[in-house]
Amino acid sequence: MTVVLDKISKSFGAVKVLHDLSLDVQDGEFLVLLGASGSGKSTALRMIAGLETVTAGSISISGRDVTEELPKNRDVAMVFQSYALYPHKTVAENIGYPLKIRRMNRTDMEAQVRDVAAQVQLDALLDRYPRELSGGQRQRVALARAMVRRPAVFLMDEPLSNLDAKLRGHMRAELKHMQHELGITTIYVTHDQVEAMTLAHRVALLEGGKLQQLATPKVIYDDPENLFTAQFIGSPPMNVAHGTLDAGTFVVGEDRVATGGGASVKNAVIGLRAEDCRVVAPDQGAIRAKLFANELIGDHTLVTAKVGEDMLSIKAPKDFEAGFDEAIGIAFDPDRIYMFDKDTGARIRQG
Amino acid sequence: MTLMQRLFEPRSIRTMAPGTKVLVYSVLLFWTAFVLFPIYWVLITSFKTAVDVNGGPVYLPFIDFQPSLHAWKELFVFDYKDTLRAYMNSLIIALSSTAASVLIGSMAAYALARFEYRPKFGVVLMFVLMMIAVFVAVGKYGVDWRLSTAVGVAIFYFLARALGRHFSASLGNGDILFWMISQRILAPIVVVVPIYMMFQQVRLLDTHIAVILTYTVINLPIVIWLMYDFFRSIPYDLEESAQLDGATRLGVFFDIVLPLSRTGLAATTLLVMILSWNEYLLALFLSTSKAQTMPILVAAMNAGERGILWWSMSVVIIVMIIPVIVLAIILQRYISKGLLLGAVKG
Repeated sequence: MTVVLDKISKSFGAVKVLHDLSLDVQDGEFLVLLGASGSGKSTALRMIAGLETVTAGSISISGRDVTEELPKNRDVAMVFQSYALYPHKTVAENIGYPLKIRRMNRTDMEAQVRDVAAQVQLDALLDRYPRELSGGQRQRVALARAMVRRPAVFLMDEPLSNLDAKLRGHMRAELKHMQHELGITTIYVTHDQVEAMTLAHRVALLEGGKLQQLATPKVIYDDPENLFTAQFIGSPPMNVAHGTLDAGTFVVGEDRVATGGGASVKNAVIGLRAEDCRVVAPDQGAIRAKLFANELIGDHTLVTAKVGEDMLSIKAPKDFEAGFDEAIGIAFDPDRIYMFDKDTGARIRQG
Repeated sequence: MTLMQRLFEPRSIRTMAPGTKVLVYSVLLFWTAFVLFPIYWVLITSFKTAVDVNGGPVYLPFIDFQPSLHAWKELFVFDYKDTLRAYMNSLIIALSSTAASVLIGSMAAYALARFEYRPKFGVVLMFVLMMIAVFVAVGKYGVDWRLSTAVGVAIFYFLARALGRHFSASLGNGDILFWMISQRILAPIVVVVPIYMMFQQVRLLDTHIAVILTYTVINLPIVIWLMYDFFRSIPYDLEESAQLDGATRLGVFFDIVLPLSRTGLAATTLLVMILSWNEYLLALFLSTSKAQTMPILVAAMNAGERGILWWSMSVVIIVMIIPVIVLAIILQRYISKGLLLGAVKG
């Protein structure tokens, strides 16, 4: 089912936490709302769920305007970060609660609960109480409870953030597979860009209550709209060096880099992905730098170089060796350069 | 082990040295005897004759004195109607008023804990003034009370709608909660006469309903105050989750909130029950014979021409503490920790 947000805004008193957010979520799509804490991503999700009122704008689910509807009439299911399992109910009662409210008869209900529990490997634990379960099992109960009544939309608020790292990776894969199998539209909130990139069909990046970019993981990584997106996505984040753009030539310190365009911007920023850079001899690179540190990661060495006041990370081969403060050159393919206006944060697209 | 734990958290009795064990057990035994002795004293007194009571302290039945059933007979054979009536009255009044105040009070507490109220101070003031105007109209000028109430409510409604928005000072949940507690801080003796007059006017004196209503009202602040804290401690996530699962607000309250506050409900019920069961002052004013409760009966035992009837008083006290003990035993298994474990995170 589709979810359409039309310029929704939210204010708490004088504080505006969400500015004119518009999203169009397709049927069966896995959309991730990504952002740091305080970016308004959870507020947006809670507004879709009906747990927060909408200050301005409208929300429709499956073509029906639900802006003023109560949560229970929206046909959405939500998985909370805290799981929010009912501690006085057994696993079976927890999963069956949405069905019980809908007055489903006992035999049908038990059959459906068992069905869903089997899907998330909980069939052996149906009589347990939440306090007797591990974190991962509780997580699965929360998922099963959301799945059991086949809602129009799944809403997930950082569902994996309370799990340990190993389990999180495993659950991520399960979640992705399950969403594909069920084909239910899912809106997922996270601050973890790895989760966002791996799970999403499309990522909506939020910052300061404003949508920064809405695109597929590939596009958001390869073609960021602005400096914020460029620096938020990627690990390590995109390198930036501050300088001036003079008729298409980026000037940093004494080095001049041709960018292939003709724009002039006084406060410009050049962006480079760590994997697009190479460490070369000082006079052979496009930018001269000083080596700040190098760290062997395993399959590669992460070199941190200093250009003026900026630190750049470069992925070098694992056998790379150099001493501290050694002069190096940084080489890169001119096609892989991103230019941004420092003052507005906007991307400067070249010809 | 922190200092706190070392000093205040006792080790298991099994791991103690024999000397310590003896000491611990003797302290415990002494305290048990200390606590149980009054009950024992009341019990044996109920079997004593006047001679044994007045002749100085005697403790051991069959050795110190010859037990006699005369007091029990007097209350349950000769005067059984009075005793039974007071007993039934006490049971009916205490149970109904406890049920009512716990039900109403916990709903009020839930509303205060979960919804934000911002009544305008001006509107509240207006309501109070309007009420005074209605009273004056009825009392001084003899206007029909139905007419003046209807006119008062109508004027208040339109004025509040017209002017309400223009008041800036508003009250919050904290003010409402404090106002409710302040009703309990007020000593009951202050309101005894007005309450008496009110029930006299509506001809409900010496009826169950009068006593039940009064007890319900005086116990409400306690229930609201205690339950407010319990409800606040329930993670709101659970309620939001139930709402998304399709429950109504009332459904959330009965399916999720109440079961999770069993501990608080049990403790509050017990407390309110004991308060109603033992209440004397209001019962003294509101009942004369038909709605008389046990505390009045106990007090009557030392007001007769025959002096203080210790033996009869003891009998009444014993039968009086039985329901409270039964209720405490029923409820104490709910008053345990760890109910919320596993609800959120882990």
